[in-house]
Amino acid sequence: MRTESVDILILGSGGAGLFAALHAYDQNPSLDILVVTKGLLGKSGCTRMVQGGFNVVLDPRDSIERHFTDTLKGGRYINDQELAWALVKDAPETINELETRVGCFFDRREDGTIHQKAFAGQSFDRTVHRGDLTGIEIMERLRDQVLGRGIHVLEEHRAVELVTEEDRVVGALVLDIRRGEFVGISARATLLATGGGPTMYKIAAPSLEKSEDGLALAYRAGALMRDMEMVQFHPTGLLAGAGRVTGSVLEEGLRGAGGYLFNARGERYMVHYDKEHLERATRDVVARAGYMEIMNGRHGPQGGVFIDVSHLGAAFVRKTFPGMVQRVKDIGCDLATGPVEVSPTAHFHMGGVAIDAAGHSSLLGLYVAGEDAGGVHGANRLGGNGVAESTIYGRRVGDALGREAMDLSLTITSEAEWERRAVHHTRFWRRGQGGNPAHLLLELKGLMWDRCGLVRREADLIACQESLEELEARVEHLSVGGDREYNLRWGDALNVESLITVSQMIVRSALVRTESRGSHYREDYPHEDHAHWLKTVYVQQSSESKTMQTMTRDIAFTRHIPEELKEVVNDVVPR
Amino acid sequence: MQVTVRVERSTGTASYSVDTKAQQTVLDVLFYIQNELDETLSFRCSCRVGMCGSCGMVINGKEGLACRTGLDRLGPVVTLQPMRHQGRIKDLVVDMGDFFSKYEAVRPYLTPRPEVQDPIVASPRSKLREAIDLGLECISCGLCLSACDVMTAVPEFLGPAALNRAYNLIADVRDDARDRRLAVVGQARSGVWQCHTHMSCVEVCPKNIAPTRAIAQLKQKLIVRRFMGHRERPIPKLQYIVKEGG
Repeated sequence: MRTESVDILILGSGGAGLFAALHAYDQNPSLDILVVTKGLLGKSGCTRMVQGGFNVVLDPRDSIERHFTDTLKGGRYINDQELAWALVKDAPETINELETRVGCFFDRREDGTIHQKAFAGQSFDRTVHRGDLTGIEIMERLRDQVLGRGIHVLEEHRAVELVTEEDRVVGALVLDIRRGEFVGISARATLLATGGGPTMYKIAAPSLEKSEDGLALAYRAGALMRDMEMVQFHPTGLLAGAGRVTGSVLEEGLRGAGGYLFNARGERYMVHYDKEHLERATRDVVARAGYMEIMNGRHGPQGGVFIDVSHLGAAFVRKTFPGMVQRVKDIGCDLATGPVEVSPTAHFHMGGVAIDAAGHSSLLGLYVAGEDAGGVHGANRLGGNGVAESTIYGRRVGDALGREAMDLSLTITSEAEWERRAVHHTRFWRRGQGGNPAHLLLELKGLMWDRCGLVRREADLIACQESLEELEARVEHLSVGGDREYNLRWGDALNVESLITVSQMIVRSALVRTESRGSHYREDYPHEDHAHWLKTVYVQQSSESKTMQTMTRDIAFTRHIPEELKEVVNDVVPR
Repeated sequence: MQVTVRVERSTGTASYSVDTKAQQTVLDVLFYIQNELDETLSFRCSCRVGMCGSCGMVINGKEGLACRTGLDRLGPVVTLQPMRHQGRIKDLVVDMGDFFSKYEAVRPYLTPRPEVQDPIVASPRSKLREAIDLGLECISCGLCLSACDVMTAVPEFLGPAALNRAYNLIADVRDDARDRRLAVVGQARSGVWQCHTHMSCVEVCPKNIAPTRAIAQLKQKLIVRRFMGHRERPIPKLQYIVKEGG
């Protein structure tokens, strides 16, 4: 087996992974840094798919305190306040670096300063963007800078296992997808930046290769996980019949600019769910409202509701949202002149590995940044805070890696040990006739959508848990054939295995939280219960029994007590 | 709709019969074949909405992104080939190493002028940005290089995407590597002079970018430089474009 040893191993090449690589390199160019990415460099993953933009305080009339309180309010107050604070505090310097050092150029106002547009759940228009396809600019330019520094990259390689020694992560077993061979990589420090991507739902937005691998890897290695019940559904996922464009997001700026949502009867249904904010309520509220309309039969021919921006004027829509107009045109409709059918779509995982503000996980040597991490967004992420998280935390954690990597020892895993571990991931090949992972994935998607989606009930969750056990058992009967080189079916099998592990964490945590908060809605506990549930739900694999354990801990109000919590929370306790 | 899909695979041409549904694309068909008919077929994709540029291929003889090519436009027989002028990894998966080594050769990364400490002030109408904005949003999919007629005769040609990127940076007041980049794109064998303005790149670009235009601009800059030395229009002084105080 090929083996390598490096100082810093970065898993993932989205905003978090590449920014971390740049910052670690710039801290210490002599560090041996290796970026491993499931697709092509900077092309796979979800930063690339960012449409709307990046929340940042640039206007003197705005303030980082306001961005902070908006973020906490959007997260229904169970964010880790230190993590959320780091996000808003670092946002201005991150945009500055993207513009002046990385080479991005964001849209301007008439006066030539950076334009900021309206997004939902925000008290100020603070979303920086490049048209309505912002992620392309950010990822192309970050990728260019990585090329410029000559950082070593392994494309179309995926991590299948983190290697631990006692409570330390000492590297990762990686599958070279092109050759169908494994590579054992020993590293002083490993950064998990594979992105989440809750694709275990029938309708889902993330890129197609996403399978929450990072979360499954971290869990199996024993890392402490948090907020796993918190899965964000974006309210306006495009419906395109049997086409794979289905589920892709029509960006939030459409609602920000004044777009309407209608049910099949032509009613602007948000009036019944949030009279004050209407379509500009936060994603959790708008997505659930759409789901309720759909479940109550007020849906269109494809089982969705409708977004309509035509009253804003066709010329305005075409100029402001060219990417969205194009995408809708691709499926034969016109966003500028009429309604388009949409559905809530699984979009983002607020939950993830528990970290501190420098990206340290509970395991020494394992750092986490971006969607693989949990805690920044609490129970619901604001639109525009996602790419902010991946880039800001990429920078922060890259700095930490640059400073700390050489203080961590390098433990070389033996070739025999690598070989032993690889056997497990090739088990699908030993079988003759067996299940098709693509079919298993479809079953999983239906199960999670129906039983652990936008509206949850105890009985459903218990049934879901049992079904997941059955699906997990069926992973052992999947079979893969053909050549090992670039074998997509093998990838499907590994993907569905990751997704089932993460689904189990979602369901377990959803059972624990007996209230409704943010994106987690329990029909049997329909209210937010501040008296009992200003808490984080943690998940961890027991090191002895290898079973899934959950625990809860009170939220630490280390910086700010929101007005509506003053009756239940007494004092700020600085960390 | 019943469609016959002919795929030029590493092992030869394979033919599949697929029953397609409305609003499906070439990418949907490839998934159907791989999931249900032939698990050994390989192709590459990621975002499925035309943002990542991973699924470029030659579709009925013309370059396109599989995810954005609707079947309704293609008729009852769909022929799929890997992109041209690039090595093949397997089936429809090409090795984009050649594309990216050309891209890297033009120094595609901003080399920041140290005095630019804050985002520049640039009105959407200003001449400063107009030239560049037309060429941004390249998703480095490689379709333009695959379609480029020059590549057959001159494999060293840097190609449309790399030259387009070079022009964007050469026209960017924030950049400090203008001269070095101009030297690269002006090279006789690999540079802009090889382009004969066939505009095949313009025809296939899924982002409606016109690399030919960027190449023409680069040629003009090189000619001006050749005959007028360095007395071309000066780069605007930063005090006019940098926001005071930030």
